[in-house]
Amino acid sequence: MAAPVVGPRPGWSRRAQYSLFFGFLAAVAGLVVGLIMLVLSLVAPSSYSAVRGVALDATAPITGVLSQVGATVSGLASGAGNYWDAANQNAKLKRERVALRRQAIRAAAIFQENRQLKAALALREHSREAVASGRIVGSSFESPRRFAVLSVGRSDGVAPGMPVRTADGLVGRVIEAGRIASRVLLVSDRANIVPARILRGGTPVISTGRGDGTVDIRPLEVGRNPFKRGDIIVTSGTGGLYPPLIPIARVVRLDDDGAIGLPIADPSQASFAIVEQPFEPEALAVASGGEVQR
Amino acid sequence: MVRAALQSRGRLNRGPRPGVTIIPAASVVAMSALAILPVIADRGAWPDFGLLMLLAWRLLRADAWPAWWAAPLGFVNDLLTGAPLGLSVTMWTAVMLAMDLVDRRTQWRDYWIEWALAAVLIIAAEMAEWKVAAWSGAPVPFALMLPAIVISILAFPLFAFIASRLDRWRLGQ
Repeated sequence: MAAPVVGPRPGWSRRAQYSLFFGFLAAVAGLVVGLIMLVLSLVAPSSYSAVRGVALDATAPITGVLSQVGATVSGLASGAGNYWDAANQNAKLKRERVALRRQAIRAAAIFQENRQLKAALALREHSREAVASGRIVGSSFESPRRFAVLSVGRSDGVAPGMPVRTADGLVGRVIEAGRIASRVLLVSDRANIVPARILRGGTPVISTGRGDGTVDIRPLEVGRNPFKRGDIIVTSGTGGLYPPLIPIARVVRLDDDGAIGLPIADPSQASFAIVEQPFEPEALAVASGGEVQR
Repeated sequence: MVRAALQSRGRLNRGPRPGVTIIPAASVVAMSALAILPVIADRGAWPDFGLLMLLAWRLLRADAWPAWWAAPLGFVNDLLTGAPLGLSVTMWTAVMLAMDLVDRRTQWRDYWIEWALAAVLIIAAEMAEWKVAAWSGAPVPFALMLPAIVISILAFPLFAFIASRLDRWRLGQ
């Protein structure tokens, strides 16, 4: 089947030839402009922060609503599955049972949410300063980079460079902040390097993302492999960006001179993420001024 | 009965839809907008929907939009997916120009050649994305890109189908 090529064959029309040629010139110009933009966003990542922030603000609320809808629909579907069992009981019992179960489900949901909120609040009490807490609504699922979208932004006090955590452990750090949403560089991103130590014994290590949802952990001192399976890796506070003693990962596999860990805070499971002040405020100035890697 | 048989049954007065010229571009933007779905994934193995739609349209017809439209479409894609600004602008415009070259060089095309062409362009695009990620501080091993490449190539026929259906619908055929 030879498909007819509906191509740029303008024939003898001078006008069509010109428009085709200028279209080609415009495309080449687009290519050049694109290259310049790309170089600029590689060399000076903060140069587009305004327009990217606006895009984030425009899309994150939609993502947030969709994720709520998704949670509700899956909740309804699993709830409806429960009701089928009551089909052969009499109508009154069924109605009662449905009503009770609805109430129970609602109560359970509120209870669970309460518990998570309480955990977040308790955490907030004995951590240094929580800036804001929000929901993780989306992620960069089309790209080799690992970013997440968080539903709080500059209007809540969030600034690029601030560490983000859940009640369980470290999520990452803010790299872009719009007014009402921000983008978080996850610990599993290759560009996110976290100074850390092993909780058992305190050996200093470095955690680097692998881009596939795990982190690569290397000891600072070359020598015997200090890891054991199941070891908990916590932040060391070195560098001043991440506060110390936040759990990062659990060691799941050893290799010759390091280990591979699974992040403890799973962004897809966590309901709330907390944005904190950097451990040492000077680190924020460094992190937000040009050092931010995207 | 006879009169009913003579009735048009909607076959007359079926011109192009309103907005016929922007429907292809609009479908690409819509596919780019899938990036705002609330999916929280461990790894970025999902296909680049906007790019696949662009490829499907460009392989279906050369006159879906003027070649330079790829630049603004790529800009929108960059903003929606959070990729470094300029990545899709460059890549998509390059795809359009490359396809113009291919159109000049090929005498005929069938379905398999289109798929192979799409595969080559998808691999090139993913490699560009990989390189740019490395330059911006995240040098992941190339093996990490393989699932995304395979999934994108396998997903291409679906997008080709959507493009051909949309094309028939917008032209009122």
